[in-house]
Amino acid sequence: MAGILKYLCNIDIPKVLVFGITGRQGKSRSRLMRGFGTHIVAGTTPGKGGMEVDDTPVYSTAAEAVAAHPEINSAVFFVPAAAIAQAAFDAMDAGIKFLVLTADGVATHDSIKIKEKAFETGAKCLGPNTVGMLDTDGYLFGLIGGKSSWAKKNYLPGKVGVISRSGGLSQLLASFHCRPFLPGPKSDGSFGPLWGKDYPGLSAVLCVGGDPVPGITLLDAAKAFEADPRTKIMVIYAETGTTQENDLAKAIKNGKITKPVVVFLGGKFTEAGVSQSHAGAMIRNKNETYLAKKEALLSAGVTVVDRPDSVFAATAELLR
Amino acid sequence: MPALPEYKTRVLLENHGVPMVPAIFCQKIPIDLPEPVVFLKAQIPGATSRAALGLVRKASTTDEITNGLNELLEAKNCQGVLIAQAVDIKKEYYAACLLDFGDGENLAGGVLLLSTEGGSGIEARTDSLHKIRFSLLNPPSTSDIKKQISDLPNLNDVADFLQKMITTFIDYKLTVLEINPMAVLQDDSLLAVDCRAEFEQQAVSKKNSELFELPETTSGNKTNLEILVEAINADDPAGTGFFRSSREIAPEAAIKVATNLCGGGGKMLWEMAIGGRKDIFPLNESDTSGGLSGFKSYRILRAIMSQPDAQVLILTGSGMAFQNQYHLASAVWKALRESSTPLPCLLRFGGTDQEKAINLIKTVDEQLPVQVKTFEPEIFPNAMVEHLAEIATEQRVKQNFSPPAGELAFELKTPPARFIYHPDKNPDFKEPVCIKHCPTKYLMWENNRITANPDAKCIGCLVCETVSLLNGNGELTIELDLPGEVL
Repeated sequence: MAGILKYLCNIDIPKVLVFGITGRQGKSRSRLMRGFGTHIVAGTTPGKGGMEVDDTPVYSTAAEAVAAHPEINSAVFFVPAAAIAQAAFDAMDAGIKFLVLTADGVATHDSIKIKEKAFETGAKCLGPNTVGMLDTDGYLFGLIGGKSSWAKKNYLPGKVGVISRSGGLSQLLASFHCRPFLPGPKSDGSFGPLWGKDYPGLSAVLCVGGDPVPGITLLDAAKAFEADPRTKIMVIYAETGTTQENDLAKAIKNGKITKPVVVFLGGKFTEAGVSQSHAGAMIRNKNETYLAKKEALLSAGVTVVDRPDSVFAATAELLR
Repeated sequence: MPALPEYKTRVLLENHGVPMVPAIFCQKIPIDLPEPVVFLKAQIPGATSRAALGLVRKASTTDEITNGLNELLEAKNCQGVLIAQAVDIKKEYYAACLLDFGDGENLAGGVLLLSTEGGSGIEARTDSLHKIRFSLLNPPSTSDIKKQISDLPNLNDVADFLQKMITTFIDYKLTVLEINPMAVLQDDSLLAVDCRAEFEQQAVSKKNSELFELPETTSGNKTNLEILVEAINADDPAGTGFFRSSREIAPEAAIKVATNLCGGGGKMLWEMAIGGRKDIFPLNESDTSGGLSGFKSYRILRAIMSQPDAQVLILTGSGMAFQNQYHLASAVWKALRESSTPLPCLLRFGGTDQEKAINLIKTVDEQLPVQVKTFEPEIFPNAMVEHLAEIATEQRVKQNFSPPAGELAFELKTPPARFIYHPDKNPDFKEPVCIKHCPTKYLMWENNRITANPDAKCIGCLVCETVSLLNGNGELTIELDLPGEVL
């Protein structure tokens, strides 16, 4: 069975180039990714060509890495925010089609330029400011899970596709759907296990990131899950700021997304114009408020919850 | 977004060849006063409607210049006064560059707004504006712009002016650049008469840092704890450490809560739990995430606990952190040991090593100076808050902590830490238990001393100290300085 990248960017098996592999984050996250099953082919750090990190060859540029390993089709970036735009351009110029940009604090100008470049080259960028993605087909990009043993234990194959604008909630929504006998509030008002030992499980989780201009949007991710035969239901963490939820609601109304969708919508008490810890959650106009998004999603037939523990009850209900 | 005052914005535009009205910036009355007629403009970042507030004045005589400068230089948050030559304007335009974040139908990019009727009442005249979308990656040339504004007189000059403005906007990665008015003089030449800019702090490159540096008065009167957390971030930059004190006054009957929210998801869950409630008052916002070390978690926790009105601390993330929860729990335990006024806590651990984290707090529970409740990640903040009242304290516990004396084993610069070996706790010179628990093999036992392995790195996890105190005899402690006063 193909993973979600097949439907997101036509990649059957990701062959990964790690940017910043010689740094502390790059090294440790590469071990996490490899431990989960991701095929890391090479790394790149300017001026460090010729080195090896955990037996992985390091090249000074993306172009050199791709020339030596033409099978590389995807990349993950553990480089500082100020360097991310140039690194992403180098990757796209080298023909890489899927990029995961983990850096927080990327200038909005750079995010926009990366998005423009991706549009020009046909690449797809997850992030910036993302913990990455995980597919239970056996690969992950970024930081999800922290340790590979923990990731393997907590993210198990199944039928829920998770999309999130928050790193922590990406991990939470994905893993809790993989817990047998998960307790939660039931529709009859009682509290108890929402399902038995047969948990719903996860197809994949995509964290689109918390920035105002994400590469892959909620809608882009939802379209991929729509096409993914493993995914029977989508669970989404959405919030104020940006028009992602409004665009998603429109696509559902237009019949482009037909699978059931549960949205945990954050930001009920977020005030307009106030900076949030997710830069993208700041409300800039009336379409970006909690109420506007809730109304748009409800009118499209989406199940919207505003308590985190209600998400799982809603999934259980819709899968019944 | 931080705002640049006019005198600094002028420098950005001048660097890109945008013609500006002649002006000098002064912070005291200059010896050689310019010839009147001039306009005196107080330079206050973020100030709008300056004319209406009396912060812009026309001075037609030398006395008026002197008197005006005397008054304006005393204005609140005034960084100085721009003395601008008066010019004979035939027509006023309004021009602005903004970012468009895009949507399902439009790609993100820049937008140029141009009004040929000046800037007054611009919000109500959006239909008559020229709105030109442009690429940040492939900015428009002068001829591209000409095609979009072909109905304007003096087309070449206007297009050239706007192209330079767009280049300024892109090169400095500004979020807003406004010229108002953009003046057409009697000889049809163009000048920027007034301008302002907004920017993102993270977009400022090192080479431009001086240009964008703002005096303290513009940063919103930070609290001492905010300044302290900024200093912690400066000397230990890895990972997010955000802290902001609430500016609101707490309702008297509300429980005053110090919050350590780990990540944006944790913050959102917390807001959903207490939004609209008058009986719970969060004293601060916080975000400790992005893989920060145990050292940094401890230091920020000390700042958070140091809020004098706090009655209880709540610590929660989304519930599935990738920050190692055992390291975080070690930081919490250390903060509770070393704070002079520790706070009762509600702690929710979720993520890698969550069981070890919960077990650590349960193991030391009886030694703790305050009541602490731990929660599994399946219990969400909306349920946790129901326990606030039962552990919130009216009177803060007081304790005296002084670091136990010992020998300095070695010192770290980043993050700043001193590792102290206590030979009196190890009379038989056995290898202390903390050595084998160091996850990076940074600690070594050599010649009956604890030393640092030059080929390994300390990740600031605090495991060595925790293990030393719990499973050993307290042979190793770590001193983490705070760049300011805490409780």
